[in-house]
Amino acid sequence: MPIIMTVDPRSGVPIYLQLIEQIKRSVALGVMAGGEQLPTVKQLALDLTINPNTVARAYRDLERDGVIETSPGRGSFVRGDGAAQTTAQNAGMDVARESFEAAVREAKSLGLARSAVRDLFAASLDRWLPEER
Amino acid sequence: MSTISISHLSKSYGPFVAVDDLSIEIPTGTVYGLLGPNGAGKTTTFKCLLGLANTSFGQIAYDGLALTPATFERIAYVPERNVLYDHLTVAEHLEMTRRAYKKFDVKRAIELLGQFGVDPRKRARALSKGMKTATMVAIAFAREPDFLILDEPTSGLDPVNQRSVLNLIINEATRGCTVLFSSHQIGQVERAADRIAILQNGKLALEGAVDDLKADRKIVEGILPSEDFSVAAYQNDRRIVRVDKQGRILRLTVVHEPDDIASSLSTAGAQGVRVVDLNLEDIFIGAVAPDTSNAVVVEGAA
Repeated sequence: MPIIMTVDPRSGVPIYLQLIEQIKRSVALGVMAGGEQLPTVKQLALDLTINPNTVARAYRDLERDGVIETSPGRGSFVRGDGAAQTTAQNAGMDVARESFEAAVREAKSLGLARSAVRDLFAASLDRWLPEER
Repeated sequence: MSTISISHLSKSYGPFVAVDDLSIEIPTGTVYGLLGPNGAGKTTTFKCLLGLANTSFGQIAYDGLALTPATFERIAYVPERNVLYDHLTVAEHLEMTRRAYKKFDVKRAIELLGQFGVDPRKRARALSKGMKTATMVAIAFAREPDFLILDEPTSGLDPVNQRSVLNLIINEATRGCTVLFSSHQIGQVERAADRIAILQNGKLALEGAVDDLKADRKIVEGILPSEDFSVAAYQNDRRIVRVDKQGRILRLTVVHEPDDIASSLSTAGAQGVRVVDLNLEDIFIGAVAPDTSNAVVVEGAA
């Protein structure tokens, strides 16, 4: 399945990190399957109108993290051995952990008590994961 | 290989120092953005790079070698101001370029002009400002140069044609061409460039990879418990390049470990502590705004 990627160059988040995050998410959700080919660096750079070295940097980091593999002359592919999915899901955990951290920090700075934060968290769980109650 | 290196470049016009000890290395295949307020020295730098102005001090090198007539075969330049001949048609400009350079792909030039909607039969004086820019861009890119030097290459163009120019730049970079361009439209630089330099008063104010600058620089802000809260510790912290305090509001510009600084600020009793990302425009303004370059400024401290 072709993946739809968007970047916001005006964001303070580096573009290569935006790309890595989106590709990992696509892999974790199974939108990109093992063995699937990624667009070439040039193609993705032109499609998104972003610098090709920035795309190459994202691909290098994804390769180092074990999500994709690149063979010279053939292109870049999602790793087919299941390692890609595990890595991508772990990355998802990291994103979730950071969001929790930020939320709790915000709550603390607003002067909320521990019990109030716990109530908010419980309400979120009930809303988004009600079936596992 | 196509590298550009500028080392200790200075250029004065009488007592006026337009460029002051500028050193920049541009590796092969880089799209390098030159930013700066009006009069910062961008165009003068371009002129020195092209031998259109004699340097007062310092060296310019292409692939490690000084500029020679042979180098011009490998460089294409789009100047900021219109240099087309009013009374000549666009097609006549193509013919002139074909005669002047060994390498010029006329078919490619016509194709690019078509893309921009420029009629080659028109005389230059009949073209709008944007169409003049487009014509100069089409001629430069059809020379398939190793070095592209572009001074405001999108000025006067509509958003669609601006995007076309950026994609042309990206395409050239993927075949190993080294591109140096200036633009006042920071959003374009943010897209196309991998490295940037910010000039101010002829000096280098900030240089680096766009993504690294964004990753490194953050604002940590919070509301202090009282107006007379001492911020001396933050002023002496090497991870912090700028301290702004207005009443109880503290804004720290941080280049390392923003999360650690945020949690220490929170522990010190500050409220609403958050870490804010900076885009290139924020970084640009932080670098060139009057008397703020890496200085520690405390405003309205009680």
